[in-house]
Amino acid sequence: MTTQKISDSPIDFAEKIIRDVKNSKEDGVLKCVQCGMCTSTCPAARHSDYNPRDIIERVLEGDETIIEDDCIWNCFYCYTCHSVCPVGNSVCEVNQILKQIAIESGIGYDKLYEYMGFADSYFTAAIGAIPERFFADIDRDVPGWWDFRQNLDEIRKELDLDPPLMPSREVIDEVSTILTITGFKDKIERIRQSEEDENEERTD
Amino acid sequence: MKNVPTKDILLFRSCLVSVEYPGVEASTKYVFDRLGVDYEISPKQTCCTGLGHYSDVFDQIDTSAIGARNFRIAKDEGRPNLVMMCATCYAINKKSVKLLNKKDDLRNHINQLFDENGLSHLKYEKDDLKPTENIFHVVDILYAKKDEIKKHIKYDLSDYKIATHHGCHYCKVHYEDTIGGVRDPNIMDEIIEECGCRTIGWYDHKRATCGTGFRQRYSNPDLSFTATADKMNAIDDEDVDILVHLCPNCHIQFDRYQHLIAEREGRKFRAIHLNIAQFIALAMGGDFDKVIGVKAHTVPIDSVIKDLKEVGK
Amino acid sequence: MRDDLKVGVFLCECGGNISDIIDLDKVREELDVDFIGQFENLCSLNGRKIIRDAIFDHDLDRVVVAACSPISHEKTFQDYVKPLNPYLMDMANIREQCSWVHDDHDLATQKALTLINASIEKVKQSDAVDPIYCQTPEEVAVIGGGIAGMNAALSLAKQGTKVTLIEQSPSIGGHMAKIGKVFSPVKIAEECGMCLLNPILNELVWNENIEVLTNTKVIEAERRAGTYNLILEKSPRYVDTERCIACGKCAEACEVEVPNDWNDNLSMRKAIYRPFGQSYPEAYVIDMDNCTKCSNCVKACTMKAIKLRGRAERIPLQVGSVVVATGHKLFDMEKRPEYGYTRYDDVITQSELGRITGVNGPTKGKLLKSNGEVPKRVVMIQCVGSRDEKPDGHRYCSKICCTVALKNANIIKHKYPDTDVLICYTDVRTPGMFEKYYKHTQENEVRFLRGRPGEVVRKGDNFIVRTEDTLKGEFVEIEADMVVLSTAMEPSEGTKEIAEILNVGITEDGFIKESHPKIKPVATDVQGIFVCGTAHEPKDITDSIMQATAAAAKVNEYNYGGVEIEPFIAEIDTEKCIVCGDCINRCKYKSMSIQNDQIYIDPMSCTGCGKCLVGCKQRAITVNGNIDEKILSTIKGVLSKKRPGQRMILVFLDNIGYTAADNIGVNRLSYPESIHIIKVISVNRVTPKHIHYALDNGADGVFIGEFPGDLMYDEVERKIQRVKDRIVEMGQNPDRITFSKVYIPYFSGLARKFTEFDAEISQLDGK
Repeated sequence: MTTQKISDSPIDFAEKIIRDVKNSKEDGVLKCVQCGMCTSTCPAARHSDYNPRDIIERVLEGDETIIEDDCIWNCFYCYTCHSVCPVGNSVCEVNQILKQIAIESGIGYDKLYEYMGFADSYFTAAIGAIPERFFADIDRDVPGWWDFRQNLDEIRKELDLDPPLMPSREVIDEVSTILTITGFKDKIERIRQSEEDENEERTD
Repeated sequence: MKNVPTKDILLFRSCLVSVEYPGVEASTKYVFDRLGVDYEISPKQTCCTGLGHYSDVFDQIDTSAIGARNFRIAKDEGRPNLVMMCATCYAINKKSVKLLNKKDDLRNHINQLFDENGLSHLKYEKDDLKPTENIFHVVDILYAKKDEIKKHIKYDLSDYKIATHHGCHYCKVHYEDTIGGVRDPNIMDEIIEECGCRTIGWYDHKRATCGTGFRQRYSNPDLSFTATADKMNAIDDEDVDILVHLCPNCHIQFDRYQHLIAEREGRKFRAIHLNIAQFIALAMGGDFDKVIGVKAHTVPIDSVIKDLKEVGK
Repeated sequence: MRDDLKVGVFLCECGGNISDIIDLDKVREELDVDFIGQFENLCSLNGRKIIRDAIFDHDLDRVVVAACSPISHEKTFQDYVKPLNPYLMDMANIREQCSWVHDDHDLATQKALTLINASIEKVKQSDAVDPIYCQTPEEVAVIGGGIAGMNAALSLAKQGTKVTLIEQSPSIGGHMAKIGKVFSPVKIAEECGMCLLNPILNELVWNENIEVLTNTKVIEAERRAGTYNLILEKSPRYVDTERCIACGKCAEACEVEVPNDWNDNLSMRKAIYRPFGQSYPEAYVIDMDNCTKCSNCVKACTMKAIKLRGRAERIPLQVGSVVVATGHKLFDMEKRPEYGYTRYDDVITQSELGRITGVNGPTKGKLLKSNGEVPKRVVMIQCVGSRDEKPDGHRYCSKICCTVALKNANIIKHKYPDTDVLICYTDVRTPGMFEKYYKHTQENEVRFLRGRPGEVVRKGDNFIVRTEDTLKGEFVEIEADMVVLSTAMEPSEGTKEIAEILNVGITEDGFIKESHPKIKPVATDVQGIFVCGTAHEPKDITDSIMQATAAAAKVNEYNYGGVEIEPFIAEIDTEKCIVCGDCINRCKYKSMSIQNDQIYIDPMSCTGCGKCLVGCKQRAITVNGNIDEKILSTIKGVLSKKRPGQRMILVFLDNIGYTAADNIGVNRLSYPESIHIIKVISVNRVTPKHIHYALDNGADGVFIGEFPGDLMYDEVERKIQRVKDRIVEMGQNPDRITFSKVYIPYFSGLARKFTEFDAEISQLDGK
């Protein structure tokens, strides 16, 4: 049994999500009637424990432990729920907001370790490149891919395209500055620190 | 339908197109040139942050600030119409324009950061760009020019069984003004018809995701490939020869991993994968190596398209 | 002298609604009038006594009632001031526009005083006038020959009123004729719909007061003094209904086969056909879009009833009132392609299921799939197109689909107990007695799954319905061999067309809007036009019939009681008028015409906007009621006691804008105390002179609002620009004047605009 105390205000959690800048659906989350159409069309629900309807149920119950639940990381960001929700809610956006809350509170750091390459490539080349730590997997799963990437310049030349564009120093500096002043760089450093700390613990 | 521009276009470079399927860029240019579309590419434009954004590494403020910079570049170059080759670039940029226009706090905050850090020249003013009037995907332009396309068709591809895979981030994120429907997306089916072909239309899971799911492909490959398998099985059940795409990320998922998923499913999949621009470029007579860029493909294009038949012959 | 008039003010506490916020003791102290009364509920019968006694005892000439909005109780207090003329009373709205929108007691009290003072100044300018009575012709047009229109027509006819029933299709009967079985929750049984409809149809056909026109549409409408001049267009039937004996030989001879729309295209019919067995008129009709003019039918007809040539005929019709019963249509399933309706024959709608299970349907009542087999499992999907805010969907609940699904599920279960029926629902809505029918359905072993399916696909011989079972929290794929979609009800094309032709208001969903959803459910915003049935909103047969008979009763109120019109309308001095016709062209409301060589002003359509005044070179037109002076005095009254530093913004609104402003109060939103709303008959009556005076005498800002649907909107918008130009010439800041659109439903937007304008003015003063 759970008790709902008179002082509890479960709706505060939903209100916090509504206020997030990423939320484009205004009060959509509050209008949820748990019809399940999101889950009925969700690829992750079809093949895993992920249940978008249940996520909104928990949000509306004020269950903030949801940010610790691994299932939220199963969303494909395919926006199918967003495109069909009959009351104008978007679980997909709510999910993104939940993960940012998880990251902000440090809970989600470990989920990002593998993806730090996206941040690095931005600071070094202002592009979003598949992180190098996945190259081995790709090379294993996709025969010929590594060779192709080695020949990329030549293939592009044949197509009358410039070599893969490395923007000018000026451009890279400008975007690096932007990502510093938004607080992005600090966040990345915190995540990286956390990873290093964990690694040290493991080796100790 | 929304008004689609055919001039003052900034063709927005895509990271994945550049390094995975450069033929998509070459084909887009080839088709645009023939259709008389006025576009340029800018070396100053940077990545939309999409891959990082949907891996949860970038938050909205980072993405929108980067967006504001790219929007300023487009405005300054007199090319306010951003046209994307990648569905995720389309979704990301359109959302940033919407937020920057609508959410005063976000815009003011970003502008203030710019002001305080010597980047005042990048400031975004409300309604600098409009989501429906300035942000497009290449398919939108092709759709607007579809009557023109049929005049340039050289090869008859109508003997192939063709299906379409409409990227989620093109159709579903900004569903309110997607051309050709969202629940049964058809913009590419309609364009392909102008090339003298018919697609198979609806098939099971037609509107479903490719399965990439951003982090799912790397951190959760079982889930990712199971979702892709749903779609590959359905496509194979329909004996599809060519699956036409509009997003390089979907393209990777299908083309690069088709062998792997076939093994997992214990089936043989035979479809080849072409971007809509590559498909049209091919029908217009574009060279396999110099325009279509077939060398970048994992499933060989010539495993299906062995010889080309000229229209009317 | 108007200044010597004895004025009494009556303050209403409104059971605390007013007195809890406004300090009425202070108000009484500060007022300078001949009598002040106060009561907890002035609108009660006790209030009437207090007011009447005071008028007698103190010889009051004018009365101000400071209470709620005049929209709520003006009529009540006009009655309570008898024997004083009703127009010598004015209401100060200190509830909706004061106590309900402000919480600062002092400021609210101050504002209440200002509003009351303004009313006092205004009422001094009022003259005794009498309302105008119009008697309208008693003939009535009922548009739409479905169950609602038929009942309205029959009820009126039985009360002695002449009715013309206008139906655009070749037969009356509407959706109910197609429905197959109907049920009543109390009987817990389904019964034959046609057997219930037929007696009504027969009674209607034999009633001498009713003329039925089929194949007929209203194409034009014009209103003059309570008389509607309708132009009808009757399309040719090509079969003479007098001669045709409905023997059917013509259809036998016809070689053209087309889908039978009456059977939802599930069967075929000929190009010459009778819509259904009991259709009226009892005659065949040719579908000329599909006829090849081979003349086989002409040769086959022994009655010589068929003529292949014919032309549409225009029929003028003059009536006093109109009942709109133009009905609904069903949601277009192309808008939700994921359910496969257009791809698969055995994905059908509830309407089609009704035809299939109807004994007069394509399978003679047998539930069969397209391959001729009885389905093993029927899955029904609820809320298709309803409760769905995505593009092309409807936010509203279509109200009948839950019970329709229950009915059809029971019909299947009675005949085919082995067929599994599963209803996928979000909520089962069975209010009142319908709940019993829901339980009965469960007892019949119909199954229910709580979840909204995402899609229906074909796999082998079966369909797969993909949905979440939300009670289990599990994604499921359900095999089925027939899927039935409960599609939304939406306004029919005819409903949309007639709304435009008659110029009646519609809701955001396109249904005909009632003039008040609570207390005037059958009247529309146009006097003399009433609505019933599904043209108004989704409803079932019973509700349609109830509303139809209510509409008939309202028409007769109107026929027997006449119509009372506010007297503030234009009047022509025939001595001065030279019948130049300028005013006829100027009038946006088409209220002026030439009759018997004189200008005639239709009292029902004149709004007193005063546009005709401006153009009349002969100065032959006046508008009754001292409107100019009243506006000026109200402005004076508002500004008379302005305190130093106090910001005063005058807001001019007509009836619509005023209602929107009231709604701000009703919904307990707020706006700054500087906002003072002045109700005017037409925004057009606010002149540059008024605005200039206001700005010169202490007003800090002037806000003018107009409903864009008002015929004068464009005019007023242009005028404001001219006023701003003039104001500049007079050395005042044009930014102190603003013009804004107002809509009754967007009261929150109006509140926001008030607040924003107040901030803008405050900034101007700051600079």
